[in-house]
Amino acid sequence: MKNLLIKEFRLAASPLSYFFLAFSLMVFIPGYPILVGAFFICLGIFYSFQSGREQNDTVYTALLPLPKRAFVQSKYIFTAAVEAAAFLLMTAFTLVRMFALGSSEVYQTNPMMNANLFFLAYVLILFGLFNLIFLGGFFRTGYYFGKPFIVFTVAGFLWIVLAEALHHFPGLAWLNTPAPENMGRQLAALAVGLVLFVLMTLLSYRGSVKKFETIDL
Amino acid sequence: MSEVLKVSGLEKRYPAFHLENVGFTLEKGRIMGFIGRNGAGKTTTLKALLSLIHPDGGQIRFFGMDYEGSERQIRQRVGFASGGVNYYPRKKLKDITAVTKRFYDSWDEDAYRACLKAFALDEEKKPMELSEGMKVKYNLAVALSHKAELLILDEPTSGLDPVSRDELLEIFLDLAKTGTAILFSTHITSDLEKCADDITYIKDGKIRESSSLNDFLGAYRMLEIPSGVPVPEAALGVSRSRSGASVLLKAEDAAGLPARSADLEEIMIHLEKEKEEE
Repeated sequence: MKNLLIKEFRLAASPLSYFFLAFSLMVFIPGYPILVGAFFICLGIFYSFQSGREQNDTVYTALLPLPKRAFVQSKYIFTAAVEAAAFLLMTAFTLVRMFALGSSEVYQTNPMMNANLFFLAYVLILFGLFNLIFLGGFFRTGYYFGKPFIVFTVAGFLWIVLAEALHHFPGLAWLNTPAPENMGRQLAALAVGLVLFVLMTLLSYRGSVKKFETIDL
Repeated sequence: MSEVLKVSGLEKRYPAFHLENVGFTLEKGRIMGFIGRNGAGKTTTLKALLSLIHPDGGQIRFFGMDYEGSERQIRQRVGFASGGVNYYPRKKLKDITAVTKRFYDSWDEDAYRACLKAFALDEEKKPMELSEGMKVKYNLAVALSHKAELLILDEPTSGLDPVSRDELLEIFLDLAKTGTAILFSTHITSDLEKCADDITYIKDGKIRESSSLNDFLGAYRMLEIPSGVPVPEAALGVSRSRSGASVLLKAEDAAGLPARSADLEEIMIHLEKEKEEE
């Protein structure tokens, strides 16, 4: 696993995947749909898939002394690693915003989504959707990634719109707290987000391994 | 001699092409030329050997082991190259090698350094900066550094100038002396006359013949006939020329005729004409 990750980082990945981690900072922007920052992280990962295909990464990996599924593994490990890095950054920024800046007027009066643990749960679900739709779609052919990314973009933005709208529904304003309040509910939401992320990723991975085994390279 | 690769009954069906009942055996220290015209099934066969495509049937055994279940072990002992290095064109060779060697248990850094020196490869260069010949040599350097006992090469000499081709063939001969088995596909038959021990000839997805080079060449005779002279009934294939035609015959059918020995290219060309005559 370690060697596959090194292969991804040193040979296949696009630097944009790393640069786009800076979009985690969007967590601090008031009056902006901050969940879009997580979409940009996915876009950064997409560039690595593009880069890998351009560089014949599939054939290189397929010729290594590894089972064929290693190529699938390498892509899921890389994706999960970038998502984990982004999530950790977003978590750190969210905690700063909640605990140090939560009382500031700009966030108290923010009409858009605030950064809290509910937001982090939405981020995990968006990453899960990316893994399910984009990665799962890519490994149906091992080559075409345009259509899977378009489908993910549509699904992702529907999710962003829904998540943005949730706290405007009657009785759900507490979802948008800018401060460490209702921590029980916030932590529970985060746990649900994590479970959904893991489930969507595992479901996608299993399908991708099965499909990729049947593909002629 | 010990068997390095045994292929039997290999099948692969595409809508417009059928690889049918492909079989041959390669032994240690032997060089096998895998010949056939473009589209005959050479690349499909080689890719099927390493599961890059899924055969619909047949058995492939490396070093006496079934590929299924021993994939990792076999891959450690086999080097495969489709032409030259065609991946990560903008990465330095040293970066590609630094990653590649992590996957091979038997990586020999000294052997790698020796190959770089022998092949005059500059590790600071990127694949996109290498000539076709140097790309092939880099692939060979990697294969030899993980002590591949079998090299499977898909048209390694295509696109090389005559001098580079000759150098490469001499490398193959040296490798075979050390026990490495080499299976390489080509349609440049003169390469094989220089170095091949065995020939496997594939035509329209079927193995037409698989034997030693000498047996293969000895099985045929060429007969030149002037214009107007009828073609013998036993002719396997006829190629017309300005002055008449050349006819390929089985050696036993050429007894008593003023036939001469045939070279690989003539045999291949005339056997490919066989279809047109049928």
